[in-house]
Amino acid sequence: MSVRLNPNVLPDLLTSIEQAQQNQQNAIEQMSTGKSVNNLSDNPAAAAALVGNDALTSENDQFLTNISDVQGKMQAADSALNNAQQLLTTAITVGAEGANGTMSAADRQALAQQVQGLQQQMLGLANTTYQGVYVFAGTNVSAPPFVQDASAASGVQYNGNSGVTSVQVGEGQSVQTDLPGDQLFLNPSGSILGALNDLANALTSGNGLDAANTEVQQAFAQLNTQQVFYGNALSQLQNSQNFLNQEQVNLSSQQNQLVGANLTAIVAQDSQDQVDLQAALSATGQVLNLPNLLSYLK
Amino acid sequence: MLADQTALSVTSNNIANANTPGYSRQTVDLAEIAPTLDGGLLVGNGVQVEQIVSQSSSLLQTQLDQETQQQSKYSSYLNSMQQVQTLFNETSGNGLQSSITGFFNSLQQLSTSPSDTSLREGVLTAAQNMAQAFSSTAANLISQQRSADASVTQSVDQVNSLTAQIAQLNGEVSNANNTGQNPGTFADQRDQLINQLSGLIDVSEIPAGNGSLTLTTTGGANLVVGNQSFQLTTQADPTTGFQQVISQGTNITSSITGGALGGDIQVRDASIPSILSSLDSLASNLETSVNSVNQAGTDLNGAPGGNFFVPPPAGGTGAALQMSVALTDPAQIAASLDGSTGDNSNLTAMLNLQNQTIVNGQTPLNAYSNLVFQIGNDVSTAQSEMSGSQAVAQQIQNQIGSVSGVNINEEAANLIQYQQAYEAAAQVAGVINSLTATAINLGQTSTVTG
Repeated sequence: MSVRLNPNVLPDLLTSIEQAQQNQQNAIEQMSTGKSVNNLSDNPAAAAALVGNDALTSENDQFLTNISDVQGKMQAADSALNNAQQLLTTAITVGAEGANGTMSAADRQALAQQVQGLQQQMLGLANTTYQGVYVFAGTNVSAPPFVQDASAASGVQYNGNSGVTSVQVGEGQSVQTDLPGDQLFLNPSGSILGALNDLANALTSGNGLDAANTEVQQAFAQLNTQQVFYGNALSQLQNSQNFLNQEQVNLSSQQNQLVGANLTAIVAQDSQDQVDLQAALSATGQVLNLPNLLSYLK
Repeated sequence: MLADQTALSVTSNNIANANTPGYSRQTVDLAEIAPTLDGGLLVGNGVQVEQIVSQSSSLLQTQLDQETQQQSKYSSYLNSMQQVQTLFNETSGNGLQSSITGFFNSLQQLSTSPSDTSLREGVLTAAQNMAQAFSSTAANLISQQRSADASVTQSVDQVNSLTAQIAQLNGEVSNANNTGQNPGTFADQRDQLINQLSGLIDVSEIPAGNGSLTLTTTGGANLVVGNQSFQLTTQADPTTGFQQVISQGTNITSSITGGALGGDIQVRDASIPSILSSLDSLASNLETSVNSVNQAGTDLNGAPGGNFFVPPPAGGTGAALQMSVALTDPAQIAASLDGSTGDNSNLTAMLNLQNQTIVNGQTPLNAYSNLVFQIGNDVSTAQSEMSGSQAVAQQIQNQIGSVSGVNINEEAANLIQYQQAYEAAAQVAGVINSLTATAINLGQTSTVTG
């Protein structure tokens, strides 16, 4: 006697149909989202890795925003210092003119007034703000760092502090974004505001002009030295920016590797699923129409 | 002729029930009637129906029931967990990652200009968004837990209704066996109901003699003994408020491992609590760490920093659900360490929390991505277990079909065979009738026709 088979083959066939339809549905989902991982369970490891990848992408976006904000502030500072250089250049010219022995007292007075004008402009530059914040105040950013004070040798009092700000511009990477104002404008090795004050006084009195001129030149040299910091920092920011942009491209390609759908493969698989479905449907149709012995017993 | 008629009626019953779920085909055992001694010769006495037998395999049925328990467990588990995993679906951008990163990014932004009030407001908004995201994720988890809890009560009601019917059928099967009848129909119905019961709870089947079956949970709680069923009841747990399953005064909840009940209980009492506890731990550690950094700094008004977030409950339970921002004024963010308004040193300390192992030895984001992996992996494992179980169940179904299924061709052949035998027997009766008439008519003028 032959082996008895399950006379009811429909459940098997229906399962095949269901399976083929399920495969097709998956393929359609992948094609429509462009992702191979649409649920955590599709690939738990990829989904977990995606958390880190997305977070890094978003952090990098923030670093790029940080960089552009910091660039704005530093460019404002840098351009204020460029203006300060021009003011000092003018002061050097005026000082040299004043040192000319043929100068009358009245002429020197006029020059002194010119230098006092430069002094006022320099004070304005030292109190430069960027988006409501004093950029040469150390971290004491809410009040003007330099105020006039006739009793002080430099003619000004520094109300800022010696704090500096560092901002993160990459994972574990930060950039110092400023120098304290006193280091820039009241540096002992070349005080800009002090030199201008001395020059104005020397022109007024006619005494110590040579010493005052030397001071202004020292201040000019010192400013050039300090300004290198801003140049370096700005180019460091540029480097970080380039690095982050490249990093974003890498992250995006990693993301694609993690969860992106391979459309070519899916389309091929989908047409295979289509064939499977056709086969299962046709087999089911045939089984339903198969005659049995009773059909012949008439 | 009577034997053939019985065989014909069994065959037609088989054909009638060819598509009845759970029906086991019946066969007729025909046997010779013991011969009698007639004038020194043994003369056959014909045929009789010895018994009608249902072709079924209790072993296969039990295997099917076990697979059903597995399958239903995974199915109800997946029903809940597939919804749970969408709460953490980072692939579609739903999930906590973006709000956690958003909070730290807002601190980054503020660090470029710590005295900027609009950036400070941005930090408070991002913190509120993060708190909201934690809280609504936890609330959704709890609502999944509640719906699993509601299913437990429903399943227990269904179990009770099924065990009552099975107990009754147990009685019928025993009665049929006692009176020497074929209990097949009752046994088939009972098999069907036990299979349905297996969809709800894990069942052990123990033959109790006389065709009766004793049913218990695999943990040993009685469900059906003889013709008596033991009702399960539910009772709310005083602390969690979730329904516990009670059998004869004993809480058997944690020992239920199969069927829809097993799946729902696993979701309600193990899976979701574990996810909630990870979330709570993430939330409470974040809150506590940010709070202590904020307290170490100075705010924009020069005052010492206070709690950034409302401190989480002691022990952390409920921290995710209750997460909320304590600060109301953007100036209260303690960005500075030295008290100056442009100092961002304390913000840097707060930012560094992102890369510190403040959540059970992990960074906040790693803790979260581990949770994401865990959930995805649990669902994916259950899915493969379920499809494995489905394949096995189908294989067993096929085996059961090969033993018990009605094959129309086979029955048609039997039908013809028994029909012909019946006709032949009728012919024999006709011949005997005619011979008898001839004998009666011997020497008669009038005749009796056969």
